[in-house]
Amino acid sequence: MSRLQYVFGEALRNMGRNALVVLGAVLAVFVSLFLVFGTLMFGEIASENAAQWSDDVRVEAFLSDELRNVDQLQGEIAEWSDVDEVTYVSKPEAVENAREIFADNQAILDLIDEDPSFIPASLRIRPSDLQDYDGIASRLEATPGVLEVISAGDAVNQLISLRDGLQVFSWALAIALGAAAIALIANTIHMAVYARREEIEIMKLVGASNWYVRVPFLLEGMLEGLIGALVAVAVGLGAYRLGFDQIQGLVPLIDLTVSTDFLLQRAIVIVLFGVVVGAVGSAISLAVHRYIRT
Amino acid sequence: MIRLENVTKVYDGGVVALKDVSIDVSKGEFVFLVGPSGSGKSTLIRLMMREERPTNGEIWIAGKHASKMPNWKVPHLRRSIGTVFQDFKLLPTKTVFENVSYALEVTGRPRNLVRNQVPQVLKLVGLSAKSDRYPRQLSGGEQQRVSVARAFVNRPLILLADEPTGNLDPATSVGIMRILDRINRTGTTVVMATHDHAIVDAMRRRVVQVERGRIVRDQSRGAYEQRTDAVEPAPIIRTEAGESRAARELAEAEAELAELPIDEEFESPDDLDAGESFEEGLG
Ligand SMILES: Nc1ncnc2c1ncn2[C@@H]1O[C@H](COP(=O)(O)OP(=O)(O)OP(=O)(O)O)[C@@H](O)[C@H]1O
Ligand SMILES: [Mg+2]
Repeated sequence: MSRLQYVFGEALRNMGRNALVVLGAVLAVFVSLFLVFGTLMFGEIASENAAQWSDDVRVEAFLSDELRNVDQLQGEIAEWSDVDEVTYVSKPEAVENAREIFADNQAILDLIDEDPSFIPASLRIRPSDLQDYDGIASRLEATPGVLEVISAGDAVNQLISLRDGLQVFSWALAIALGAAAIALIANTIHMAVYARREEIEIMKLVGASNWYVRVPFLLEGMLEGLIGALVAVAVGLGAYRLGFDQIQGLVPLIDLTVSTDFLLQRAIVIVLFGVVVGAVGSAISLAVHRYIRT
Repeated sequence: MIRLENVTKVYDGGVVALKDVSIDVSKGEFVFLVGPSGSGKSTLIRLMMREERPTNGEIWIAGKHASKMPNWKVPHLRRSIGTVFQDFKLLPTKTVFENVSYALEVTGRPRNLVRNQVPQVLKLVGLSAKSDRYPRQLSGGEQQRVSVARAFVNRPLILLADEPTGNLDPATSVGIMRILDRINRTGTTVVMATHDHAIVDAMRRRVVQVERGRIVRDQSRGAYEQRTDAVEPAPIIRTEAGESRAARELAEAEAELAELPIDEEFESPDDLDAGESFEEGLG
């Protein structure tokens, strides 16, 4: 107990002594981890939405009435490596679907009732990867017997590249800002060691173990990382809660909901990351500092 | 207790501070290191406290092979060595009591030991009444006594002192020497580097003279200068007329010390070996 008291007491005293520098390091950790947390959230929103939309979306090839061997065509397309599944929608089924879709539109329903034969049969194709829309669509267009190809893949594609971009971006950001935060924490520890060099010299003279000398500094770095990360997580979650309604109102097509599980998981990861950043920063500083290194 | 075998020390940059030095100091001895400035006295002290490693040769300290010892074992070795320097090295933000108890606390000694031991040691150095003062409220001699108390509170086997009286006037120096002598009488081996003729001449202990990195004299009951005529020991104490105040005080101190029942006041330095727990606790 008194050991813990000593270690924490020393760490807190050191932090108080260099309050401004410590504040700088904590702010650096906060800003970097806040940005990382933010991009993680946006990435999750993008990928959730992409997944939802992609469930509804198919490449649809409308077939000419003259096409005889539909089974053969369906078989061929199903063999394509980028195709996951091909479903045949016969003319009667297509008419049924159209009736459902346009249930509110009496004019079109009348049109269908008058002569349902203008609605073509189609093949509905689910690509194995959402990014393969373009290739599938263009090959289908070149296929004899295919009247027209439609796909709602473009929006999904954009969302997917946004998600991938955000993923790369948040990693790059985490690494760059993490390095900056490590450097700033190393700097505060450097100053703390320098401020206490006499005390360290005396501790070593009277035989304090290396850990006894180092642990308060390590802990100080970890505390700085922890505090920065906690603030980042708190501000991130707070901003999400408070800003949710307003921003959701601005982008009704995108569902901004992120599961609490996801938020909690990432929050824990961010906090651990902050502690690690602090530990690495102070460890680097202790490893190079001549007052500590015996 | 301390053994150097053919020790050579070359500092970075090529300064040869010691050349092929061998010394053997037994338990309980009191050794003065004398010699001109730059001769290598402080280097010897630093090697003995394992702050430096020899470039060549072997060193044993308190039964441990110090020259082969890895860095992580040094803290443990230091607990059997007390050190005193010219510049006191006290922490200005801590009181006298705290400066002394610090040495016990940072080595993880139990609290009740701190509570017993510190007042006892402060009494030994005559600072019981000033234990709540800060270093800046003390004279140089008093500060050095605090530093001696801190060096001794661990009951080390060895006490190394590098010019402990270098910043003090003669009378104050005598006070410090009195304490070092008392400490030596408890069985603690003392090695002290000094330029102080009066002290060396008055105390008549073993003198090791270093010159340009070599030992040129190793004499028991020696004087500061090697003289052929000095048949009688401690001449300045004997002469009534030309006697310095310092020497007189020292003579009184010696008389006083001769009557001190030492064993009642001190535990033997080796019977204390508590306090490993902190280090182990941190793993
Ligand atoms: N850390 C160091 N790096 C390089 N050279 C050093 C170092 N310490 C001491 N020296 C050199 O080693 C030699 C011996 O120095 P040392 O301090 O041991 O002498 P000293 O006998 O204690 O002198 P003084 O009586 O002035 O204290 C000197 O030439 C000194 O310049
Ligand atoms: Mg010196």
